[in-house]
Amino acid sequence: MAVTSAEATRGQGSITGAWLTATRYSLIELARNRFAVGLLIVFTPLWYFMLGALIDNAPVAFKYAPTGAMFQVNSHQLTLLTAGLNVITLIVGFLMFAQTRGGAAFDRRLILCGYRQWTLMAAKLAGMVVVAALVALYGALALLLFWRPDSLPLVWLGFFSAALIYGALGLLIGAVVRSEVAGFFLVIMVSLFDTFFQNPVENPLANKPVLRYFPSYGSTQVMVGGGFTHGVALGGLWVALGWAVALAALGLLGFWLRSRAWNGARHVG
Amino acid sequence: MTATQMESVAGAPAALLAQGISKHYGRRRVLRDVSISLPAGALVGIVGENGAGKSTLLRILAGELRPSAGSVALRGALGYCPQDVVLNEQLTVAQHLDYFRAAYRAPDLRRADELVERLGYARYRQTPVSALSGGSKQKLNLTIALMHRPAVLLLDEPYQGFDWETYLRFWDLASELRADGCAVLIISHLVYDRSRFDQLYTLSDGELRRDTTAA
Repeated sequence: MAVTSAEATRGQGSITGAWLTATRYSLIELARNRFAVGLLIVFTPLWYFMLGALIDNAPVAFKYAPTGAMFQVNSHQLTLLTAGLNVITLIVGFLMFAQTRGGAAFDRRLILCGYRQWTLMAAKLAGMVVVAALVALYGALALLLFWRPDSLPLVWLGFFSAALIYGALGLLIGAVVRSEVAGFFLVIMVSLFDTFFQNPVENPLANKPVLRYFPSYGSTQVMVGGGFTHGVALGGLWVALGWAVALAALGLLGFWLRSRAWNGARHVG
Repeated sequence: MTATQMESVAGAPAALLAQGISKHYGRRRVLRDVSISLPAGALVGIVGENGAGKSTLLRILAGELRPSAGSVALRGALGYCPQDVVLNEQLTVAQHLDYFRAAYRAPDLRRADELVERLGYARYRQTPVSALSGGSKQKLNLTIALMHRPAVLLLDEPYQGFDWETYLRFWDLASELRADGCAVLIISHLVYDRSRFDQLYTLSDGELRRDTTAA
């Protein structure tokens, strides 16, 4: 009976073992992106300091979705939160973009040598989730140098959900955009526009209904809830996770299309 | 295609048989009706100038690229060493070997370790690829293609960047593989020593011709 060469050479290896191996190396690769790690360590507190120094403590109205009401928050503290969101989304987006784009040929070789595409895709996702969690944690802890929010875990949750969205966006851009410069530019511009518009201090149009359709809207709601109320903006969390899942699905589809091999040789004997 | 057909075409057990391979990108034809049989235990070379379609043919034989027409039949595991070094700059040599062991579902790394020793770069096992020389990268590129003891080995310009000593070691290795029954196909724009090959082909303007002057 003829079967494809790839199937014939694959055997019965443990899928979990292969997934763990790929996840481990995905994380090692992400951790060795020295530029991004350096940016995270140095740029995050610097960004908090610089943006925080620019904005004073005047009250500003923020529309908080769980209550549907406007409430007064401290401009300086709100700016610290959106600054964190900005830097975290940039770094995770950049990390995932660089890994997906730079590793395309290597991933194709692994698949040609027998790695299942789905296993590599699941490993990429796992790596992204871990990195998003850790970068968000660093961003939340660095925030403590400047301000103690009401609930740090909820601020982390807001950061984490945004990091997932931008990690997925980086994955998508890395899978479909060929030019490195264009990819970086896209990640930076989307993050800048998106997080800038969420802050009513920097943008008089914030609190408008249209902002609900921006990627970081849900994360901003969760983060502000944690910063000022101890409340969980569950609706915002679901919106953020919806963005992350949709972008990750598109990114994985792009990855699947780009990394598949022909593998059409017939295996005989 | 059946096993009987594969044997009958070459007169000896063919480890790989490609028939009627054509490839075109739009109107540009890169390969025209190329057929080749790689007998088990033979060292076959394909020579051609840059742009003759050598790498395209090898990528089709390796299953990386879909031909516009034709078929490829294969007996046993395949090893493929691409012309461009396809490695991960962030991972070390040892991590590459472990990663590809998982890809091949290989039980251990004995063969990989042996190849690393023989190609003379064992001291770089813990070195990230980004810090390796071009020659060492090429050795790792080759090791990955060989570490699962393939029955068919496709090598695209495999000795690029090798020093003379490594070049000779490479040929020792290729001779051993041939003696062990592996079908080895090497493509190169330059063949220094035609006598090393059992069969030699020339690829020119997308057409493959057997070179009967080979040893």
